Amino acid sequence: MDPKLRRQLGRIVSWVLTFLLMMIICVPGLWVVLTAFRPNAEVLAKPAVWVPQVLSLNNFAKIFGFAQEVAIPVPAYFANSMIIALTSTAIALLIGMSGGYAFARYRFRFKDGLFLGLMLSRTVPGIALSLPLFMIWSRLGLIDTKPGLIIVYVAMNVPFTIWLIDGFFRQIPIELSEAAMVDGCTRWQAFWRIEFPLARSGIASAGIFAFLTSWNEYALASQLTRSTYSKTLPVGLMDFTSQFTIDWAGMSAMAVIIIIPALALTFIVQKHLIAGLTFGGVKG
Amino acid sequence: MAEIVLNKLVKNYGRTRAVHGIDLSIAHQEFVVLVGPSGCGKSTTLRMIAGLEEISDGTVSIGGAVVNELPPRKRNISMVFQNYALYPHMNVRENLGFGLKIAGQPAADIAQRVDEAAEILGLTELLERTPAELSGGQRQRVAMGRAIVRKPAAFLFDEPLSNLDAKLRGQMRAEIKKLHQSVRTTVVYVTHDQIEAMTLADRIVVMRAGRIEQVGTPMEVYNHPTSAFVATFIGSPPMNMLPGTISGGAVRLADGSALPVPERAADNAREGQEVLLGIRPDDISPVGHGLSQDGPGAELTLTVAIAEPLGMESLIFTRIAGQEVQAKLYGPRMVLPGEELVFRLALDRAHLFDAASGASLEAR
Amino acid sequence: MARYSPKRLFRNRMNLVPFLLLLPAFMVLALVVVFPLGFSLYTSFTPYRLIRPNTLHVWIGLRNYTDLMGNGDFWAAFGRTVLFLTIALNVEFLAGLGIALLISRITWGQRTLRTIMMFPMMFSPILVGYQFKFVFNDNIGILNNALQALHLSDGAIAWLVDRNLAMFSIIFAEVWMSTSVFAILLLAGLLSMPRDPVEAARVDGCNPWQVFRHITLPYIMPFAYIAMTIRSLDVARAYDIVHVMTGGGPAGRTELLWTLIARTGYNNAKMGMANAMAYISILLSIAFTYFFFRKLIAARKFMRGAD
Repeated sequence: MDPKLRRQLGRIVSWVLTFLLMMIICVPGLWVVLTAFRPNAEVLAKPAVWVPQVLSLNNFAKIFGFAQEVAIPVPAYFANSMIIALTSTAIALLIGMSGGYAFARYRFRFKDGLFLGLMLSRTVPGIALSLPLFMIWSRLGLIDTKPGLIIVYVAMNVPFTIWLIDGFFRQIPIELSEAAMVDGCTRWQAFWRIEFPLARSGIASAGIFAFLTSWNEYALASQLTRSTYSKTLPVGLMDFTSQFTIDWAGMSAMAVIIIIPALALTFIVQKHLIAGLTFGGVKG
Repeated sequence: MAEIVLNKLVKNYGRTRAVHGIDLSIAHQEFVVLVGPSGCGKSTTLRMIAGLEEISDGTVSIGGAVVNELPPRKRNISMVFQNYALYPHMNVRENLGFGLKIAGQPAADIAQRVDEAAEILGLTELLERTPAELSGGQRQRVAMGRAIVRKPAAFLFDEPLSNLDAKLRGQMRAEIKKLHQSVRTTVVYVTHDQIEAMTLADRIVVMRAGRIEQVGTPMEVYNHPTSAFVATFIGSPPMNMLPGTISGGAVRLADGSALPVPERAADNAREGQEVLLGIRPDDISPVGHGLSQDGPGAELTLTVAIAEPLGMESLIFTRIAGQEVQAKLYGPRMVLPGEELVFRLALDRAHLFDAASGASLEAR
Repeated sequence: MARYSPKRLFRNRMNLVPFLLLLPAFMVLALVVVFPLGFSLYTSFTPYRLIRPNTLHVWIGLRNYTDLMGNGDFWAAFGRTVLFLTIALNVEFLAGLGIALLISRITWGQRTLRTIMMFPMMFSPILVGYQFKFVFNDNIGILNNALQALHLSDGAIAWLVDRNLAMFSIIFAEVWMSTSVFAILLLAGLLSMPRDPVEAARVDGCNPWQVFRHITLPYIMPFAYIAMTIRSLDVARAYDIVHVMTGGGPAGRTELLWTLIARTGYNNAKMGMANAMAYISILLSIAFTYFFFRKLIAARKFMRGAD
């Protein structure tokens, strides 16, 4: 075959494949988003209604309690999710910065072993961990409390946060903090004036990643929370399913609420996240 | 006054010893260069002076006070790093003023001293740029500016020119020399480049494997090396070393030929001693094309293996008693491989070393 | 000059700093992971039931574990879990590699594509589960609706009810969620790859396939191992997906280890037995992670050699 034609064909094939790929990634999500704006009747209609006849914010109004049915306290869940995710992220970042700095800047005994242990602690399946945590937390009175879930999420996020932040600190030449110390800084000052500002964007993306993990977590939250006092959005989503019926439209509206922060953050973080994962892993 | 005294300074990394008890006194305002091959402990020594490396044993004192336990910031020193270590998130002005700001100086003073330093180093136009926008030479100058702006008791330089290309290196060498003449501060300068050491130093400290091999002015080190190591390390191309045995008042080489024992080593050479006869390429030249034409010498007929014309001189590779040696021919004359020439060895300038210990046999 | 004696205390303190920095991390992990796991190891040797607290103090040794050895449902779930992981991880790797190669070729809009690719990674697994429960719903799901509208199928296909189709649906959801981890890291690897070795291989007479097989693939394998390590850290997130989509049903046809643990522990209140199962699932996870982590370390060393 003519090489020019073959190249042309190759380009068309790769565009078609890319289009298909993007369809598979986007269509399910977009369909859920569309459903969020449609009445349940239309969603359940047979034969299927492909082009929406009615688009409204009714589902959102309903779940936020502006309509007569206030079955599911979504605003409370939203607030719980925010408080729990933000607090646990902040604490995980502090602990992660301290630990990441230790791995990046010091040589010490058992370093590799400790690092491996850290990673292995993250591998324990949430559901397996939830059994003893449920028993211990109920004795400590931490069941159905925000602090109870916050502590758990801090522990869940610390290993990965340390991994990422370690990678970002390693990219900063050690001479910079040495120069700062010769210039009159204490080690503490050198950290806050030189290393922290330089790693800031990386630390921020580690924070966003931690936030998303907490925001999205279900297995542990479903066992450790009970009521509006501490239930998070993913747990609340299951309120829409009863034994035999599912409120598809309401659930979709709630799904949109859960997705939006995740999408926004993904967009902000993407560049640093890729850099962090690759540096942390390969150059380590 | 800021003399720096190292007393039996030791550095251990786990079980390996990187620096083996160094003694060195550096006078106030002196420019001392630590030179040696990589891994000789010169950078470690400098970093112990700076306080960036823990001292395993012995002491460092600056200005008469032991500083072992003092963090870098309390040692009143400044340092120029190999990779400059400019703070990438600050512009040149902020980089220069950082140390003063940390010290809590008033903003007006900082601005004035930064401007002064920028003036000295020709950085005035660049003050608002970030390090990423600077060329290698400009970064080098900013790093030096950051060092002088704080008016410290001593400057430490850790291979500051090794990232520059050859031409810029020569230029910056001259600037460092000029800077030292204008600010007159004690300087400790680490390099692996013997040319930098020769051109910059008041005194050179040649190090090898964690020990000091020789301390002296550039000319002392060049003309009177105390060991075969120093002799081959200082000077380019390196000094030729001909192995031989002392026999009947002469150095007998591998092929049985003999050369007279250099006069300066005559008293110390024992009969039957294994020796190295050291002679610089400049002192082996074709008759009529060398530097010194009189004084004691030996003439040998040698075959040219390779000749590298450098313009007004040529470097010639040949062999004496099976040992490859380099020789110099002065003057614009073309030499061809295979050519046989009569070379004159200026033996009054030759050295003799003990083959086993490497120590010079020169009488002192 | 007075003889100077080094202060030993100071030196020891210097060595303590990294441990002090790591202390908060290990304290939290001790409280949330190590101590509870110790407790659950203990309960796995008791017949503990939530409704009868006294049973916590009855020591029955390895009976829970020996019971599990003969428990057909457990082994079915175990086998299904290993199968699920093997299929999912392999498909994710291959699809991720394909996507990375595809996108690395595209010059226009590459960054946008990469961003879109990252979205599924950020979805809550519970949402992914819900989304695909909706897509695969036999009655109102978009898939069946589309198939019927295109006349590719007459009746409703019971995606989440049929044994094989339900497993397929779950794996599809899992792959949808996690392929991007591979795709993104492999793409980063491809984009960071130096041109010289590829050109050298071409000059040496390699055809495109040989270049890929002998130059490109070995270069990007460390990136694949990072992805594998990251993935093995959270494979159990699949619990959320399965929990929403089928709940392990119908009739245990999609029961994985994790859903079985939840059912045994919470619905049947047999905590001791559930903990015994949990321990086996933990060992499985650790084995996966350890395996990939070793590979990653080895690959890293290999990479450093080339620097």
